[in-house]
This record gives sequence, structure tokens and C-alpha cells, in this order.
Amino acid sequence: MAQITENTRNEVKEVVYDFFADECEVDVSEISDQTNIIKDLDGDSLMFLELIEVFKKKYSLEIELKTIGKYAVKNPVQTIGELIDMQMLIIEHEDRILELA
Amino acid sequence: MSGKVVVTGMGIVSSLGLDLETTWRGLVAGRSGVNYITLFDASENQTRIAGEIPAEFSEHYKLYIKKRAAGQMTRVTKMCIVAAKDAVRHAGIDFGQMDKTRCSVIMGVVNTGNSSVEIDTTPQNTVFKSMSNAMSAWVSLDYQLMGPNYAINTACASSAYALAGGYDMIRNDQADVVIVGGADSIINKEEIEGFNALYALSVQNDPPEKASKPFAADRDGFVIGEGAGVIILESEESALRRGATIYSELAGYGLSSEGYNIMAPMKDGEGMAFTINKALKSSGVAMEEVDYINAHGTSTELNDRYETLAIKRVFGDRASQIAVSSTKSMLGHTIGAAGTIEGIVTSLSVYHDIITPTINLFHPDPDLDLDFVPHVSRNQKVNIALSNSFGFGGHNATLVFRKY
Repeated sequence: MAQITENTRNEVKEVVYDFFADECEVDVSEISDQTNIIKDLDGDSLMFLELIEVFKKKYSLEIELKTIGKYAVKNPVQTIGELIDMQMLIIEHEDRILELA
Repeated sequence: MSGKVVVTGMGIVSSLGLDLETTWRGLVAGRSGVNYITLFDASENQTRIAGEIPAEFSEHYKLYIKKRAAGQMTRVTKMCIVAAKDAVRHAGIDFGQMDKTRCSVIMGVVNTGNSSVEIDTTPQNTVFKSMSNAMSAWVSLDYQLMGPNYAINTACASSAYALAGGYDMIRNDQADVVIVGGADSIINKEEIEGFNALYALSVQNDPPEKASKPFAADRDGFVIGEGAGVIILESEESALRRGATIYSELAGYGLSSEGYNIMAPMKDGEGMAFTINKALKSSGVAMEEVDYINAHGTSTELNDRYETLAIKRVFGDRASQIAVSSTKSMLGHTIGAAGTIEGIVTSLSVYHDIITPTINLFHPDPDLDLDFVPHVSRNQKVNIALSNSFGFGGHNATLVFRKY
């Protein structure tokens, strides 16, 4: 289980905000934790997978995508804030995340 | 309900320009969009020419498509989206004011262009780039349309079939508006080699702009073009309610399958004539009323011979009095997009009373003796016009446009 600090959350938040600002061609200042990924940003579900790949590399996570998929079905993500929360759980619990579901 | 289906908007991306107006001006001026291939190194290919769209498209599409979506589209799909958005704008439609469950999309798609010229295909986007329904899906996504939405493949007649499908959908009261079109590019090494192996392409590379010469004695095959064409079909009631400009009425169509050969048309144009007759019957148009035929006119030996014979077979002595011209003499053959692009040209001929020419007809084939409107466009009253599309596999389509 990885040690989560406030710094980790800030890192994740920065990566997520920059990713959506770049992919959706909006200024980062227009994004908040309440921003809806599909309705407000014209985003898509693939973005979530792409971000997971980024974080798997960044934090050397050992978790399969299908495990995350199973968790996400029960805990759907709509907003940027929810996405960051889920990402933090993945970093913290890796493939034991299903035990939380 | 009148049952009339009308054209209220059009969009084109072609080798003559990235929009409708520029393309139409080029066609009326009798300009060729054919040049040497730049999309890949064609120096080893027998055919080294094609009607490529202007290179500026690589920046132009960014005005229409967001980066994220663009990354999941081929260049061909992007052409389709640009033409579709231009057509919607041209029609003045605000989908926010429409019942979106009655707004549909049908695209004629032979392939999406996910070929060796696509340099940024990755495992993450290859499925989206290859899906043959991608064009219709993206158009409906852009406007959140909820009516039927699908793609049709009948080779070179694909987007003409799409227009027929849109016509039926409105006539059957399944939709008020149908965005119909097609986009295509087979300008890549592999497909040019394949068509060269079938002796279907012109190899008269120099000068490029003279190679596509439908109905000429020295024609030696078609020239590949690329591009997109999109038409907004609408019920007359919907168009009148919106106060839309109506460019023409799509009065009917004829579709048929020849059941004859995977490549060659039925001998002496029998299948083509059958299709034209079906179109006249379905639209209630008498043969005496036809003023203009936008021919399939590919510049291949067989098509041009058989299409001429088919027109003579249908119209008899009157055939020589009907203006017949080939858009492909200027744009090349845009395959899946050709049916709609030529439908647009035909519709504009009806609207403006201008018939665009067949260029490069310097040496007419003595066996092909119709009025092919050589070299320069003609101002002539056009009340009824036909547009022919005939595809590999024996897929035939004739569309009938009437002045509104």
C-alpha cells in the first residue's frame, strides 16, 4: 500500500487538470473539481484509460485495467474531482481496490 | 404532408477547393483539380497523378474539429465532418430548434482511409479510424442527433445510395432532416497498385490535368480523386417552416444490381438503362422533360461506352438533345464521395441553370456522339436533371433532381 501525502494529491491533480486542458483545448483555469468530463469538456471514456496508463508508469502501480474497470462500474466517475479521488484510491490500494467496492 | 424531399444545404471538400463556393466556381470555370501525387512517394507507381484536396486542409479542419476528436479520425473522416458542418451552416439549421429524434445521418462509405498515408494511427485510435460507421457517428455526435444513423457501402455508388436512403426516410415520415453524404480517398500506394493491376487507372501522367478525359477517344482509365460531399435533405414542410432556401427537389431515384460481374458493367449498358428507366418512373418524370444528365463518366473504356449506349437506349432519338457532362473530368473519381458530390453539382445546375463541362474532350470518340458539353460550361435552363453512379459489383443508382 503506497503512502499518500497531500503532495501526492497535488501531483495527481496537476496531471489530471493539464491532461484535460490539453486534450479538450480549454484553459486550465476553466477546469475545477466540479467540472463534468463529458458534458462540460466533451471528453470521453478513453481519457480515463489513458490517464490510468500515465499514473501506472508514474507510480509503478501493479493493477490490471480490468480490475479498475470492475471498480468503475460500481463507482462511476462523472467529474474531475471524482476522477482524482478514484485515482488516489488506485495509487493507494492498487489491485486491492475491489475490496473497497 | 406533400411528400416532397428538398435540398436545403450542401458542403464540399474537393481538389478544387475546401468549400462549396470555391469548388463550384472551379467547376463552372472548367478547371482541373488533378496534379502529381504528394501524399506519398508515387515515383515507382504506374499512376503518379490524382485529384488531391489542397494541402491547407491539414490546418483548415482545426476550425471545425477539436483536437481530441481529430486524433480519433482519419483524414477522410475529417473531410466528411468539415463538409457536413458546412452543409448544416449552409442550410441555416439550428438543431436546438429541431426535434432531434427526427434528424438522421446516412453516409456512403467505401473505406475510412485508414491506409499507409495515415501517419498517426496508434493502437488506441485504430479501431475508431477504421470503423466504417465513423463518419455518420461523428456527425450525429456533433449535433446530438437521435434519428437513425448508419453507413452504406455500394462502392462508387455509395453516397448516391445514401441519398436514396435519405429520400426514403423522409418520404416514410421517419425523419424531417437527413444529413447525407460521403467521403473517400484511395490515394495510397497499395490501392493505386491494385487499380493499376486491374488496368482501371489512367497512366497518362503528363500533364496531370489532361488525364481524366471522359468520352474521349484517347481515354485510358479513371483518375483517382478524393474529397467529401454532404447534402441536407429535408421534408418540404420542415424547409418551409424554417424559411430555408430550397436549391432543388430530389424527385426520385432508381437503384439496381446488375448481377453480372464484379468489375465490368453489363454489356451495352443494359443495367444502366434499366436503372435510369426506374428513376424516371419513380419520379414521374417523362423522358422528354430531362434537360441534363450528370454522367458517371469515369474516363474508362467500358463505362463511357456503355453509359452512352444506356442513355441512347432510354431516350432514343432525344438522347442527342440532352446535355451530358462528367464532373470526374475535373475532380477525378472520388469513389464513395462521388454520388453526393455529383448530386450537389447536379442540384446546383438545376438551381443556377448552369451546366458544368466535360473537360479534356479534345479527341471525341466517334462512337460516343452525345452532347457532352465540351470544355466550357453552358448557361441553359435545367428543370430536370439526372445524376448517374455505377459501382464495382454492379451497384447502380440514378438520382432525379427537379427545379423547385
